[in-house]
Amino acid sequence: MPSLLELQQAMYRSLVGGDDAAAAAHVVANGLAPGARLQVYRNTALVTLTTALRLCYPAVQRLVGDEFFDGAAMLFIAAQPPQSAYLDAYGEAFAEFLADFPPAASLRYLPGVARLEWAVNRALHAPDIAPLDLLRLAAIDPANHPQVVLTPHPAVGLVHDAAPVDAIWRAVLAQDDAAMAAIDLDAGPVWLLVERGRLGIEVERIEAEAWQFTAALFAGRSIDDAVAAFPGAEPVQLIAGHLAAERFIGFEHAIPRRLRAASPEPQS
Amino acid sequence: MSPHSAAPCATRGPIPAQAGIGLRFQHHQAVVDTRPDIAWFEVHTENYMGGGTPLRYLEAIRRDYPIACHGVGLSLGSAECLDPGHLARLRGVVERIEPALVSEHLSWTVVGGRYLADLLPLPLTDEAFDLVRRHVDQVQAVLGRRILVENPSTYLQFRHSTIPEWEFLAALAARTGCGVLCDVNNIHVSACNHGWDSAAYLAGLDPASIGEIHLAGHSVRQLEDGVTLHIDDHGSRVCPEVWQLYAAAVACFGPVPTLIEWDNNIPPLETLLDEAAEAASLLSRPAGGGADAVAA
Repeated sequence: MPSLLELQQAMYRSLVGGDDAAAAAHVVANGLAPGARLQVYRNTALVTLTTALRLCYPAVQRLVGDEFFDGAAMLFIAAQPPQSAYLDAYGEAFAEFLADFPPAASLRYLPGVARLEWAVNRALHAPDIAPLDLLRLAAIDPANHPQVVLTPHPAVGLVHDAAPVDAIWRAVLAQDDAAMAAIDLDAGPVWLLVERGRLGIEVERIEAEAWQFTAALFAGRSIDDAVAAFPGAEPVQLIAGHLAAERFIGFEHAIPRRLRAASPEPQS
Repeated sequence: MSPHSAAPCATRGPIPAQAGIGLRFQHHQAVVDTRPDIAWFEVHTENYMGGGTPLRYLEAIRRDYPIACHGVGLSLGSAECLDPGHLARLRGVVERIEPALVSEHLSWTVVGGRYLADLLPLPLTDEAFDLVRRHVDQVQAVLGRRILVENPSTYLQFRHSTIPEWEFLAALAARTGCGVLCDVNNIHVSACNHGWDSAAYLAGLDPASIGEIHLAGHSVRQLEDGVTLHIDDHGSRVCPEVWQLYAAAVACFGPVPTLIEWDNNIPPLETLLDEAAEAASLLSRPAGGGADAVAA
């Protein structure tokens, strides 16, 4: 008799890996082969996860067609099953999967559209978190502002692509063939900011320098680090704009680099 | 068993012993706009674990209707420990929505940190019982409240199972103080698939433990060699056999909050309200009118 854990591991190998042997040995046939019984669960799981990916990636689905999408989803699900039951957070790696998926290579903008759709999905489902209280920021010595590390709101995302993936995304979802035909794939890169607006999800093009500076802040770099890395951006104006748009939820002080270098090593 | 042996409605909290419907995203706006005449709504807990628009709708709707939170992802039967992240998300929803009922399933879904995306059957053994009992204790301690545990639809049984499902559930309720969410459609589906006696299943449960009943549609799949398998897909109207079993359940348990549940081919709101009205008419039948009196 298998332990519960052994049985569940055998079920995993059956449902995800397609290897029924170990699980089937413990299943009562009762007129129907154990493999056929396991197949019912495998089907339901696949449909549930494919549906989750379809909900997240509707533009990708329309670009490649249902059959192609479902086939790609099946391979993705087998390679990277979800790690949690919170399926709104499942599928982030689908864009990278598509980038390495040879049958999709002819649509070079497809991974970019997928990354944009993931940012939209995050903006839709991210938790509600109160924005940074500006009084808290005002309370710190302005001389320390350069060392501030701002925490971005989880509903705000940044997407960059060599193709106009925002225009493709809009045209595909609107099923606007004329707009789709008018898109110039070589018009140059797009730098996008995605967020939850008052009336829905907003996808906005911003300047390259502004995007890069913002991305540095979002990645956890201090304000002076970000300024040093992207001197062409207008930091005061950009940060003021982000604060006014409630794109940050908190902050902390980074140890200045010169002090960090001088810090003693922790005693072991 | 007399209907009067059922616990009084007041102990079931603010969800009345009336018919409710599953609230799905497609109907958010219609519910807000039309304020339909229905006693309560149930939501899938996992659909409200984030923020944004879905939560705005639910917060608006909960002001006017009692809400039940029905989870599918806690995996009470996982041999490994419960996912602390998921438990924390559940607690967040419960604190925010303050639902009248919180329920989960007698099943498992997670192994090795991977979510298998279906309500998988447990071997009904002493080992599984001890584990599920501990997990229910843990969830009730974390939430600071009683939960209901639902019987699943199953398509297979394990050779080493030793405890009938209804005995497992009845003992779980007795040991942990949890309630039972009696899904009548699931009893019918599993009974058809395994040759169980639905009436014996109902009779094996303690009426006082029944906190809610689920009603839904299922499909019948023809497999090779003329074998049929009943599949719980929540994609059609409640079938006559399940209505009949429901009447028997109401006769056994007394009036219990009853949910109409759709998750596939979701019809217009009116269809759900129509089925809820049908459930309501059976709920309000005078005691003693058993299944025999129901025209299927």
